[in-house]
Amino acid sequence: MSQLADALAALDEEEVAKLVREKIDAGVDAMSILNECRSGMDIVGERYKSGEYFLSELVVSGEIFKECMKVIEPHLKAGKQADTLAKMVLGTVKGDIHNIGKDIVNVLLGAAGFEVYDLGVDVEPRIFVEKLIETEAPILGMSGLLTPAFESMKETVKAVEAAGLRDKVRIIVGGGVVTELVGKYVGADRFTSDGLKGVEICKEFAKELK
Amino acid sequence: MTTENLASRMARLQAAINLEEGDRVPVALMMGATMPCRYKGISQGELYREPAKAQQAVFEVFDELGGYDAAGAGANASREENLLDAPMRIKVPGRDLPDDDPVQWEEIEVLTHEDYDKIIEQGWKDFMFEFYPRFRGWDPAEYHTRIETKATRDIKRQKEVMKVWEEKGIPVYQVSYVNTPLMMLSTCRSFVKFTMDIHRIPDKVEATMDAMIDDLIEISIKSVKDMGISPPTGIPAKSLVMERGGAFYYPLRIFERFEWPYTKKLVEAFIDEGIMPILHFDQDWTLNLPYLKELPRGKCLCQFDSCTDIFKAKEILRDHMCIMGDVSPSLLSLGTPEEVEAYCKKLIDIIGEGGGFILGVGCSVPTNAKFENLKAMVDTAKNYRPPRSA
Repeated sequence: MSQLADALAALDEEEVAKLVREKIDAGVDAMSILNECRSGMDIVGERYKSGEYFLSELVVSGEIFKECMKVIEPHLKAGKQADTLAKMVLGTVKGDIHNIGKDIVNVLLGAAGFEVYDLGVDVEPRIFVEKLIETEAPILGMSGLLTPAFESMKETVKAVEAAGLRDKVRIIVGGGVVTELVGKYVGADRFTSDGLKGVEICKEFAKELK
Repeated sequence: MTTENLASRMARLQAAINLEEGDRVPVALMMGATMPCRYKGISQGELYREPAKAQQAVFEVFDELGGYDAAGAGANASREENLLDAPMRIKVPGRDLPDDDPVQWEEIEVLTHEDYDKIIEQGWKDFMFEFYPRFRGWDPAEYHTRIETKATRDIKRQKEVMKVWEEKGIPVYQVSYVNTPLMMLSTCRSFVKFTMDIHRIPDKVEATMDAMIDDLIEISIKSVKDMGISPPTGIPAKSLVMERGGAFYYPLRIFERFEWPYTKKLVEAFIDEGIMPILHFDQDWTLNLPYLKELPRGKCLCQFDSCTDIFKAKEILRDHMCIMGDVSPSLLSLGTPEEVEAYCKKLIDIIGEGGGFILGVGCSVPTNAKFENLKAMVDTAKNYRPPRSA
């Protein structure tokens, strides 16, 4: 494993910033630097799954990754953007303004290679549908913490169906109180109350869609 | 069958807290006014505009459920100015949201990085006295009058509510809350920023918490004494709002430094004053459970919201701390009465075994909980007896 990936996995913010800057200055291909950062994020994910790291470490690694991207992105060759796993539309559903879980998942999805269209919070069903049509994203992620959010998730799934997109779009719902019962009730394909597991499920979706 | 009255319900509640088996497992709903208002066709906006009407809905739903064993006295008066609560931005239905949407707290950075230094210098109380007028856009000169007026009004209203519960023969055990310093700072800085603060400037965060804790203890004790709850009509208690410090969010080394020492200080100070600490756990605290054995036996109540493994909690806290919970929000809002009854029976069988258990909801009753599910919960506690006591 590279020094950069190790530094990111160790959440050593200063060392990561120094190494990224040195590599950019030395003319190292930006895509390979990005891939080293992603390897570091993968280690963080493994440590989270094994119980060594907690949500806070996912958050810190995500923030470090975001800082890296600010430096790396301008150097990615024109026309050759970072490789993406899949496009994805994400948002907290109508009537709910909780953003913490969604924002964390957004960063983790970006680090994993998804092109995420984050619609923010309190998102109407038709806004989700319009974005799915506009971007042709095959994955929809909906977040919510309050129990009334379950109704909004259900309405959104119905709106996706009404737009004739249901067989083209994989749907995942997530949130602190989202359970299997909720997943079934709203008509989602998968559910989770764990951000990183949500990312893994989206990776499975991306594989199925290839 | 014995006649239910204040004394019989109080004895049942007290037995559970004392880790004894009473005549049956008590059932207590953390019933705010949101569900009763939704159920009675009162909008969530009206709940804020007409708290007396909202409280009436709580009493009506209580009666229609056939009553339960203990109640909180709090009406849904706004706690915006309460120094023990995080000064988050509140979105009020009918004002900032559609009239029947539930109230929501917006997690944005209301405390800045620089505020840490101010809190360290001034302590929490003096900082908040300066901060609140700025935060609310009020004339600082009017602030003390405003907060005093509000406190007087809220105490008067809550005492009226307590009187009604007394007349109904229902003990009151839960009135108000205090955020632990970690919870307060995390919600006021916002979770990601606070997490980065702990990563980047841990010593400053710790110094800030040190500067907050005495004020939080002092204000908490005063607020409980102001309410004047005591036996035989109720139990003086204070809830500690605990969500962000647990292992769902942070590793144990963070918990041990930034959450647990302050929790212990709050708990010990409350117990010294005869106040029962209620540790209100949101999210998954399973890994943190062994620490609870460091707290005095039989003096606290811990509430779980369905994310912590309540069965593991029983294994660890058996004969040490009363457990309350944990019928989940999703089960109450989406499940059937049969499913609720089955889960309540499981809780009574396993968590209730040997005493020290109060059947309750996970966190508080959700706005769209089905009435029949709450009824199933209350009826199961009243009618079901586990095989061991048959």
